[in-house]
Amino acid sequence: MMPEPTGVIHDIGYRHYEGARLGRGSAFAALAVHSLRGAFGLGRTARAKIMPLLLVAIMLLPAVVSIAIMALVKQQGMGYHNYASIMQPVLAIFLAAQAPYLVAPDLRFRVLPLYLSRPLAMIDYLGAKLAAMSVAMFLVLAVPLTLLFAGELLVDLPGPPHTAEYFSALGGGVILAVLLASLGLALASFTPRRGLGVASVIAFYLFTSVVSVVFFGVFMSLGRDAAAKWAMLINPFFLVDSVQVALFGTAPSNGEGYPPGLWPCLFVLMVLAVATVGLVLRYRKAASS
Amino acid sequence: MTASAITCIATEGLTKRFPRVTALEDLTVTAGAGVTGLVGANGAGKSTLIKILLGLLPATSGRARVLDMDAATQGAEIRRVVGYMPEHDCLPPDVSATEFVVHMAQMSGLPRTAARERAADTLRHVGLDEERYRPIGGYSTGMRQKVKLAQALVHDPRLVFLDEPTNGLDPRGRDEMLALIRRIGGEFGISVLVTSHLLGELERVCDHVVVIDAGRLLRSSSIGEFTQATQIISVEVEDGLQPLADRLAGVGEAVAVQGRTLTLEVPADADPGRAYDALRDAVCDLNLNLIRLEQRRGHIEDVFKEPAA
Repeated sequence: MMPEPTGVIHDIGYRHYEGARLGRGSAFAALAVHSLRGAFGLGRTARAKIMPLLLVAIMLLPAVVSIAIMALVKQQGMGYHNYASIMQPVLAIFLAAQAPYLVAPDLRFRVLPLYLSRPLAMIDYLGAKLAAMSVAMFLVLAVPLTLLFAGELLVDLPGPPHTAEYFSALGGGVILAVLLASLGLALASFTPRRGLGVASVIAFYLFTSVVSVVFFGVFMSLGRDAAAKWAMLINPFFLVDSVQVALFGTAPSNGEGYPPGLWPCLFVLMVLAVATVGLVLRYRKAASS
Repeated sequence: MTASAITCIATEGLTKRFPRVTALEDLTVTAGAGVTGLVGANGAGKSTLIKILLGLLPATSGRARVLDMDAATQGAEIRRVVGYMPEHDCLPPDVSATEFVVHMAQMSGLPRTAARERAADTLRHVGLDEERYRPIGGYSTGMRQKVKLAQALVHDPRLVFLDEPTNGLDPRGRDEMLALIRRIGGEFGISVLVTSHLLGELERVCDHVVVIDAGRLLRSSSIGEFTQATQIISVEVEDGLQPLADRLAGVGEAVAVQGRTLTLEVPADADPGRAYDALRDAVCDLNLNLIRLEQRRGHIEDVFKEPAA
């Protein structure tokens, strides 16, 4: 005898979606999280993970070595305030490698119109990308600093812990992250090709750091120390360091000091404004084409 | 269907001028539920119209309403319940179709778990199976078009704009896409505005056709009006085409022999049943072997070619 059939296939046809439809805010958050994960290679191919993870490992290295020094000789190793300045090539490479990934493919493969045909506005798209890149940059810097601080507390160095220094380094890190992210995205968004984007961000970093060193040297040899200090600010890392010095009173990590007053803060705001306006103009053009 | 009472799209004196060209000129059209075809040559203003309807491009003058919302001021609300499939390629090559469609569903405001479910459902409906887990970079044009369609449908919109969905497809892919569009407008209950520069393919799927040329309205009417003027029955028999033609002509039918087929014209006001009966009786009486008997609609092209009446 045949057994009674038990499995039945139903053609349920098309079903309408009756669930929640969230607003712009949640789309913004989803895009930011998606981009942030992408900046570290998460949700991408294995090859895309190599670079960010390698750079994160290099960023952690000085912190690990410092903890070892603290444990063995009971002396502070690397400081908090100059971590970013010392590691600036690594941070610059991370920015150059990841900022183009966040913006270039959507331009090159013309995915942007699909975003814009949804409730998300162009400004939301840019905001989410900026937020993702800023958080990524901040994490790359803040995780080693935090590891270092945790190590310092565990090793229990003689004297009080450098809590204030740690938090001012984090504060400087926030400013650095936002500034670098907006510069990196603005530069990368001008070409739909990722390779060119990487090259232009790296070129920008090399250019600013070389120019600032050259001017610094020339002014120093002419005996114009004040002008030499201004020249340091051409390098975005020292510009942010000078803000950190002005706002939190940390030691300058260039060894020479910076121009006094809040001028550096004003410069940071100006650079931020230029980068953001550049981005918006670039995307206004992209959206209308 | 409850359909055609609702107005999905309505424009009034819509004009769009770019610095060098006028894309739309005083366009007044309405489209109801179901599938509406928007026909025009390349550069006739189809894509510009869609961008205005999505609220992405301001009109120079005139008004446009979509699902009873003003395109100029309620763009975001419109885009929440409307889907858009662009004409151009718009897919990143290094992600899989599933990941991409899930992401786009989230961008339309669906929560993550709902986005996953809807993406799987939608990809199944458009006919992408195991391939959907592979990176899009390796897809054929037909598969890419399906992914583009899926991302337009994933948030279950009330209306979708499909810009040249059959572009670049081979005849089989084209048939599949057209059948899918018919299903979207019918079974799925989602109204469709589909553009094409080929009139012929739209007559197979549309309820209503709007023809524009150089931004002006040429004609807007239901598909029935387009094709009802004359109905043509084409017949093929094994041998004895001539006797059949003579016999039918004898009973007063308008027949013509073209090669191996015989065509029988039925005027719009005549009863088609009578023509079919006469044909059946003639074939039986002459004891002929019938190979093919099909109803051919008058093609939209023919109507289009007639001087504007």
